[in-house]
Amino acid sequence: MRLLVLEDEPALRDTLAQQFRSAGFAIDAAADGVEGEFAGLEYPIDVAVVDLGLPGRSGLDAIRAWRKAGKSFPVLILTARDSWQEKVAGLDAGADDYVTKPFRFEEVLARVQALLRRSGGWSQPLLKCGAVELDTRAQEVRVGGNAVELTAFEYRLLEYLMLRAGQVVSKAELTEKLYEQDFERDSNTIEVFIGRLRRKLDPDNRHPPIETLRGRGYRISRD
Amino acid sequence: MIVAPTAPSLQSRLLLTLAVLLLVAAAAAAWALDSLYRNIGLRALEDVLDAQVIALISTAEIEFTGRLVPQNLAEPRLATPGSGLYAEIVGSQGTWRSPSAVGSGLNLAAEPLPGERSIEHARLADGTRVLGLSLGVRWDPAEGESRDFVIRAAQSLEPWYQQVLRVRTGLVTGFILLSLLLLGGLAIALRVALKPLRRLESEIVDIEAGRRDALGTGWPRELSGVTGNLNALLVGERKRLERYRTTLGNLAHSLKTPLAALRGLVERGEADPQVLAPQLDRMQSIVQHQLKRAVFGGSGATLIDLPAYESLDQLRSALAKVYADKTIKITLAVTPGTVYPIDAGDFLELAGNLMDNACKYCRTAIAVRATPWTAAEWRRHGLVLEVEDDGSGIPLAERAHVLERGVRADESVAGQGIGLSVAREIAAAYSGTLEIGESRLGGARICVKLPGR
Repeated sequence: MRLLVLEDEPALRDTLAQQFRSAGFAIDAAADGVEGEFAGLEYPIDVAVVDLGLPGRSGLDAIRAWRKAGKSFPVLILTARDSWQEKVAGLDAGADDYVTKPFRFEEVLARVQALLRRSGGWSQPLLKCGAVELDTRAQEVRVGGNAVELTAFEYRLLEYLMLRAGQVVSKAELTEKLYEQDFERDSNTIEVFIGRLRRKLDPDNRHPPIETLRGRGYRISRD
Repeated sequence: MIVAPTAPSLQSRLLLTLAVLLLVAAAAAAWALDSLYRNIGLRALEDVLDAQVIALISTAEIEFTGRLVPQNLAEPRLATPGSGLYAEIVGSQGTWRSPSAVGSGLNLAAEPLPGERSIEHARLADGTRVLGLSLGVRWDPAEGESRDFVIRAAQSLEPWYQQVLRVRTGLVTGFILLSLLLLGGLAIALRVALKPLRRLESEIVDIEAGRRDALGTGWPRELSGVTGNLNALLVGERKRLERYRTTLGNLAHSLKTPLAALRGLVERGEADPQVLAPQLDRMQSIVQHQLKRAVFGGSGATLIDLPAYESLDQLRSALAKVYADKTIKITLAVTPGTVYPIDAGDFLELAGNLMDNACKYCRTAIAVRATPWTAAEWRRHGLVLEVEDDGSGIPLAERAHVLERGVRADESVAGQGIGLSVAREIAAAYSGTLEIGESRLGGARICVKLPGR
């Protein structure tokens, strides 16, 4: 999942970036409204965390610009002034949820995960595709009720596919979303990870959960 | 007080304008009266001359010389030289002059035809101004042919001119005195009328100097709106100041405890985040609580009418996003045209807290109703805002406690539930009330009543 952090305060921006990174996100960080607006318009962002009180071009303006350009990724706003006027202004501009400063990272993460889940069409934090169950809150995966041990990258890969269950996801999209911009990428790596995931989720090869659509990508069916 | 360059006072503007107006009016009136008096005077003089001419005709007879001569002079002045009354009868055979006219240089030019009459102004040899009347007559003697004469009478205008001058002087002095009297009266009237304004000014100076804290009572109707609003503004500002002061005090006091705890931990050499974090959390929640209580504006005197529907609708769509997982049905029922003079931020905060609470505790539905609250003595309507939900409601025993929650952040550890008490404080800032009841939907029903003014 690729997440944009738009926050002018360097300490908070770095902390958020680092915490989201360790939660398995690929991070784009921007320090002002102009930079943030550009990132949201040009990069394949899945979700954005936006501070409203930016100097110069405001967070609200950036959100409006994204929505005007047809960008529909969910946006979580961070407000310092805990007033409904500000929250309403943010949600009205096109944001999807808010968190009031100061906050605990767990809360921001939970909100971001809920937004991602909802944008994938899931109304519950527990995603189910056939026998495979993925709990976005606990970051746990079970197959037929039995826990499956996944590495961080494998989990991110599976979560991404399951959030987009029923859709074809290309290898290019996966590399873009799961690696950060300046990361050394290699689409063969994705194939290797898909192979490992398949073995872990379906060791007996009875109900292969991940389909390969030749030349187009991968798909997890919702049932 | 800042002294800015002042425009001329209301009093001097009024007096100056009225003085000019009075001067023009008095001059016009004096001129009109003067010309009226002159016309009437001249007409009367003409009548006198007419009578003289008739008297002359009645006794005149043609002499052998062919002149027409009055046989006796009824008017003694005609016989007295320099008396101011003169007469002559001019005919083709010679001219008769009254003794008074002899040597006076009377020189009237008009030669009216028989039956015609002519009036003229002329001067005697010594410069005396006279008014002359000439009448043309045709004399028919019993025998012989008829002859034409011109009978003239003239009267000195000097005494009359002197009288006109006296009248004029009287008129001018009279009008000047009248104008001065009126202006003086006006100045007094203005002083009396503007007295409340001077009182207002001095009371405001007193307020600035801290000698009084509000404007007094007993203002004239024209000023009572302004003074009422000023007082409301003053009270609002004072309340706000008090609230800031209380908030600051509370904030400082409530931060002391966790600070002391932190200091103690640090002095003990404690570095474990697990031990330090609770104190930080506590400080964080204290700051959040107190800030939330301090933000609202709540004055009232200077506020414009806020349409209730727009704000409530904004909140509805905002909350629909925030509670997307819960799929809540939010019903809005706003009487069309419901407005209330409230700061937009305050109203969003008030309604937002109530609706947020309702969304938090409901099962599937909340209902929001806004209706105007009217009373005969209010020029601006009040507002009744009701927010209901289908949750489990607030037990009777907890209601008072719920409203007090968060008054001092260090007294309540829980991070939630401050919404209702903040809403109540905003309502109170607008002299309104907040009541907790039971909803027909099954949960709580919060009713906020904001009075009009």
